[in-house]
Amino acid sequence: MSVMRKFRAPNRLSMLVRADGGMMAKDALAAADAALEPLRAESLAVLDAALAEIEARFGRSAAATRTGGVHQDLYTLALRIIDVSGFLPGSCVDQAAVSFCALVDNCAEAGVWRWEAVDVHINALRLLRTADLDPDQRQAVIAGLNKVSQRRIDDA
Amino acid sequence: MREPLHAATRINLEKVEVLLVDDSVPSLNLLSQVLLGFGVGNLTRADGARAAQALLRERTFDLVISATNMAGVDGYELVKWLRRGALEANRYLAVILVSGHTPPSQVFKGRDAGANFTIAKPITPKIVLERILWAAKEDRQFIECGTYLGPDRRFRNDGPAPGAKGRRREDPPQALRPPGAPSLESADSEKAKP
Repeated sequence: MSVMRKFRAPNRLSMLVRADGGMMAKDALAAADAALEPLRAESLAVLDAALAEIEARFGRSAAATRTGGVHQDLYTLALRIIDVSGFLPGSCVDQAAVSFCALVDNCAEAGVWRWEAVDVHINALRLLRTADLDPDQRQAVIAGLNKVSQRRIDDA
Repeated sequence: MREPLHAATRINLEKVEVLLVDDSVPSLNLLSQVLLGFGVGNLTRADGARAAQALLRERTFDLVISATNMAGVDGYELVKWLRRGALEANRYLAVILVSGHTPPSQVFKGRDAGANFTIAKPITPKIVLERILWAAKEDRQFIECGTYLGPDRRFRNDGPAPGAKGRRREDPPQALRPPGAPSLESADSEKAKP
């Protein structure tokens, strides 16, 4: 049986945060939003570049050369989209990229690549990024993607 | 239950030493801007876990915010290392992990590494500030055993059902459990299920 020790550790953060001065949460949030704004254009450029790289390396046009051996690259590109997708609130681009990550995880774990599911995700990301869809249509796209990505490999 | 963020809550991050870790530059930039907006006066950026480890061996910090998915040493390994291998003064730091893909397995992984909280990307200032405040109000004790060092992984104080593995002496008896907690009978009936 292992020995367990339970103790109170000092929380320096707690003491500092309560110091006199500072600002109200609403002001901190407004300042953070303002500080983020200058990064909007470059963040959306990062998003578009990641999507373009996914299409070029893992899309239908690369069908002859694409391989699941570099799944970490695909996963990282999808994560890059998620990183900056906060600038597209309500677009569901982030949710599509999360579904993409789940798909890559499932495929890598099973060692079987479902390229048609990859294509569906790439098309959906492009659609969500560029098309003028209403919220219900966007949610319908995400619902479909989640079904595709969560589908077990051996059910395919 | 942890409190949601209130607009009038006052917070002072001017003297908080924050270490921000991410090998994705765009993500590092976004989080930096958010923290600077919050008034963080001492922000240090590390573009990977190894750079963070070097800093955590040399300097004292008050809060670490780290990405999980990083090339080489990832955020989970970084937290595990921090709890045992960093400067003594850094081992009990508040740690918030930030992750783009957070299936339950990854959230549990972060918890078991010793992180206080995990935030899902894309980050929003509101969630980041709320988690910083939660970390500041953290009232969980630390647990140290052969396989774990970090905040108590139980958010509730019920403990497992009597007779079950992992029960502690201080866990409340059945009669003291809060309303809605599973009863002994229901726990037993769960066990009886095939």
